[in-house]
Amino acid sequence: MEPYELSLSAAAAEIAARRLSPVELTESVLDRIAATEPALGAFACVTADQARKAAAQAEQEIAAGRYLGPLHGIPLGVKDLYDTAGVPATSSSKVRADHVPGTDAVAVERLLAAGMVMVGKTHTHEFAYGAITPTTRNPWDTGRIPGGSSGGSGAAVAAGTCMVGLGSDTAGSIRIPSSLCGTVGLKPTYGRASRRGVASLSWSLDHVGPLTRNVRDCALVLNAIAGFDRLDPATVDVPVPDYTTALGEGIAGLRVGVPTNYFFDHVHEDVAAAVRTALGVLEGLGAELREVAIPYADQILAAEWGILLPEASAYHQEMLRSSGDLYTDDVRLFLEVGELVLATDYIKALRVRTLMQQAWAAMFDEIDVLVTPGMPFAAPEVGTTEVSWPDGITEDVTTALVRLTSPANLTGLPTLALPAGFDAAGLPLGMQVTGRPFDEATVLRVGTAYEGAVDTVGRIAPVV
Amino acid sequence: MPTTPRSFAGEALTHAARTARLELNAERAGLVGPTAEAIYALIDRLDEVPLGETPPATAFDARWEA
Repeated sequence: MEPYELSLSAAAAEIAARRLSPVELTESVLDRIAATEPALGAFACVTADQARKAAAQAEQEIAAGRYLGPLHGIPLGVKDLYDTAGVPATSSSKVRADHVPGTDAVAVERLLAAGMVMVGKTHTHEFAYGAITPTTRNPWDTGRIPGGSSGGSGAAVAAGTCMVGLGSDTAGSIRIPSSLCGTVGLKPTYGRASRRGVASLSWSLDHVGPLTRNVRDCALVLNAIAGFDRLDPATVDVPVPDYTTALGEGIAGLRVGVPTNYFFDHVHEDVAAAVRTALGVLEGLGAELREVAIPYADQILAAEWGILLPEASAYHQEMLRSSGDLYTDDVRLFLEVGELVLATDYIKALRVRTLMQQAWAAMFDEIDVLVTPGMPFAAPEVGTTEVSWPDGITEDVTTALVRLTSPANLTGLPTLALPAGFDAAGLPLGMQVTGRPFDEATVLRVGTAYEGAVDTVGRIAPVV
Repeated sequence: MPTTPRSFAGEALTHAARTARLELNAERAGLVGPTAEAIYALIDRLDEVPLGETPPATAFDARWEA
């Protein structure tokens, strides 16, 4: 096994035992990047010199007895939406081609302080406003999309070109590429981790979080990035537990919600079968399955778009007028349409969101977590614009990609995406585990129990 | 609420864009109008929900200290 194939946890164990050096690990990852990037296009830029310098520093620190913990010396990919001191942060857009921040985003700052080694900036769908990431290909089949908007991080983690990819998630942008690329991805609770220094798509829906090879790795990253930040008005001053503590406690007696509507509607039979099999695995581990009805299902996408469109257009208002021609066609169109959404409609969406949040809280009286499909299908082929369902309904691909992930953005609930299986073509099929506010620990515990019982989590994509 | 679909055809789009101080040439208008109508058809599903005294899901922290 090459070092790049190791998960964060496995690499950390080798580093802690002095059987692997951060320099050796980083060189292996940089070689893997060189070998795969022509086919993948996961990185907006590769910071090889900076990575080698940081790895050498980590090696020296560890040799001197100053081991910082499991993130020390581990290669990190940072979504290009995040500010990175002295390294371009273009949001994968010509509009910000010359943007070189002077400081790191809070999440980056915390991970680098924990000793991580940034190997590059990963591509985002332009300004995170899309679920395709057209710059990048899926490492399981390079004729297919990786999903988005954190498509570069999803492709890179799956391909072994970093152990951790940072993502952001406004309508599913961590979980969509996680599901389509076969990684684990965590959208924490709204307000759990600071978004300061990350370009906004929609302030009231934006979250930041990691994409990793396994659940424990997500917990380790969350340990570092979670916490209150007065300068991010969304963050909440609640204690940050050690998210690894309860990972192995099992799920006996846990009440797992199974939706009777919405989440299994217009879902490919392979995905539905994989998730139902996964639910059987959880039941076999001692969980109790309980059917639940998803409230306000008809209003989910209406509220998501009613909030996202005007907030995004507000953020981009000046840039759209000064640099409109520099945006890609699809993003420019969304921004222009968002200018036409009335404030009363925006506020109506926020009011429905209040009712939705209350109804989900009531639904969780009966359950501890909700388990659902992560995506309606496996990764679509590049260029797919619509999907057709057996009942004759046709859906545009972006709507389909965000349909199952948006509820967690509207409710702010912590949600873990992880592979439930693979289809006959070898493409990953995703599922989601959603928990109560600030109860990432339970969500991660369910994920750990599941991945321990199956062999679908943690595979490296061959890049074909 | 009236259930009339929102229209962004012709002069309606011109006025809406002017209100937003957004310049749209004919090519852009040809794209923006139909997309806006499709988005509003989706957003108008919110009308089905009785809202009563429900406040919006927004708030802020009034404290000054860091």
